[in-house]
Amino acid sequence: MVETVLLVGIVASLFVGFNIGGSSTGIAWGPAVGAGILGKTTAAALMTFFVFLGGWTVGRNVMDTLAGDIIAIEISLTAGVAVLFFIGLGILIANVFGVPVPTSMTTVGAIAGLGLATDTLNVEVIGWIITWWAVTPVIGFWVGATIGRYVYPELNRRFEIRNSAGPLLVLDRNGSVPLPSFGPNTTFQELGGTIVVLVVGCYMAFSAGASNVPNAVAPLVSSGALSEEPAIVLATVAIGFGGFTIARRTMESVGGELSDIPLLAALIVMITASTITTLLSWAGIPISLVMGSVMTIVGLGWGRATRPITAREAIRGNTDTELSMGALRAEPDAPVTQIGEEESEQALDASDLFNPRAVVKYLSMWIIGPSMSTALAYGFFTTLELF
Amino acid sequence: MVSRVLVPMDDSEMSEHALEYALEVYPDAEITVLTVVGEPSSMWGKATGLALADNLEEAAEEAARSIFERAREIVSDADGDADLETVYELGHPVRAIINRADDYETVVIGSHGGTIADNLYVGNVAKKVVHQSPVPVVVVR
Repeated sequence: MVETVLLVGIVASLFVGFNIGGSSTGIAWGPAVGAGILGKTTAAALMTFFVFLGGWTVGRNVMDTLAGDIIAIEISLTAGVAVLFFIGLGILIANVFGVPVPTSMTTVGAIAGLGLATDTLNVEVIGWIITWWAVTPVIGFWVGATIGRYVYPELNRRFEIRNSAGPLLVLDRNGSVPLPSFGPNTTFQELGGTIVVLVVGCYMAFSAGASNVPNAVAPLVSSGALSEEPAIVLATVAIGFGGFTIARRTMESVGGELSDIPLLAALIVMITASTITTLLSWAGIPISLVMGSVMTIVGLGWGRATRPITAREAIRGNTDTELSMGALRAEPDAPVTQIGEEESEQALDASDLFNPRAVVKYLSMWIIGPSMSTALAYGFFTTLELF
Repeated sequence: MVSRVLVPMDDSEMSEHALEYALEVYPDAEITVLTVVGEPSSMWGKATGLALADNLEEAAEEAARSIFERAREIVSDADGDADLETVYELGHPVRAIINRADDYETVVIGSHGGTIADNLYVGNVAKKVVHQSPVPVVVVR
């Protein structure tokens, strides 16, 4: 009996991990693959390795939170498996409908539902987690907006990632020892840019491991059916499998969203999101990559769209922002461009792109999602009394 | 007689039906196809991509181009010599459509754009337009 339940639990774990692998590989490697810097298979391999590293090190802190701190009692294996099913269900709904509900939120929600049903919920821990969930988007937005407004144009001028024809590096066999040297068309900038993209991808994969490995296996660890080390390996295998398979598609869907923004901006988003995710995971706060990413993206765009200087001045780079605060966003004497049949009576206002209500509506998903998973798990456990 | 018709389009089949319908029912009208670029999406990549573009206008035109091309194809398929005007707006579809609608006599819109996810990010555009439009709205299925 116990073996059967454990087997079901492992299958559920694999399902959860597999889906996590799909989505987080998409985020971590979509931009690099999209830029043609590496292939999807290489990306999946790097992903698997760094997810393991993240899960094995920083991820243990999150594991402790999920498997022990949120609810006071040891949960039964059956309850753990049921929690995994709710996590899986959340992911399934998110994938099928394209709703951006972070896995970490579903996981904490389901475990909290069990805690409520058994009256063993550690309110202090939950409060602490929710506080960070509320703060994270704000931090992301602030970082994004600051960079987008003041730093991005300058960075954009200096940083160029090209992918020239021919191999990046070739082996120079002219000397006594073969040495790698630049391929045809390769420049210093290109080599540097490529290295940065790879390093940032690995960093993001690491943070994905730190934050997401516990989601897939914590309920099993919590019930004592699986100890931490094999659980981390199990999750890594599942995530890696997702990375090698469905990530081929998510690199275009999830990663495609990141590819809609310039690669430099994607890198800024990835660095910010990975740093937030790694730090919070280290502090034992369950968090998903997407939570740090989305508001950084919005911040970048918004910061740049609402900057009080005109594009021309920004390119010249010698504006006194203080003085031009009240300046019109569009240059009044700029010629009205009429290309083909397209007419634009008023100048385009980029700040139209970020309707606050649409952003709020989007973020409301982050309240509805975990609330639903808590409510479902609570209802389920109180009805069936499985614990 | 209706002489100025606004047809909001996205990449959905429904919006193509809307244009076909408008061409058929208002053959003599001046039809304007409106498309919205940089709309809310699953990670806000589209909006931010435009905001960060070196040349916003160029990038927005690029994003709108495929919709306009499709619209012109539909017009020539209907072998209408209809005078097709095209405009694009940034950001939120509902707001863009309502802001424009005043200049037209009728809005012809597809009943819904694409997926459930789209619905989630921007809501049911047709429904909101029906509720808020200052001019009559025809919803095409």
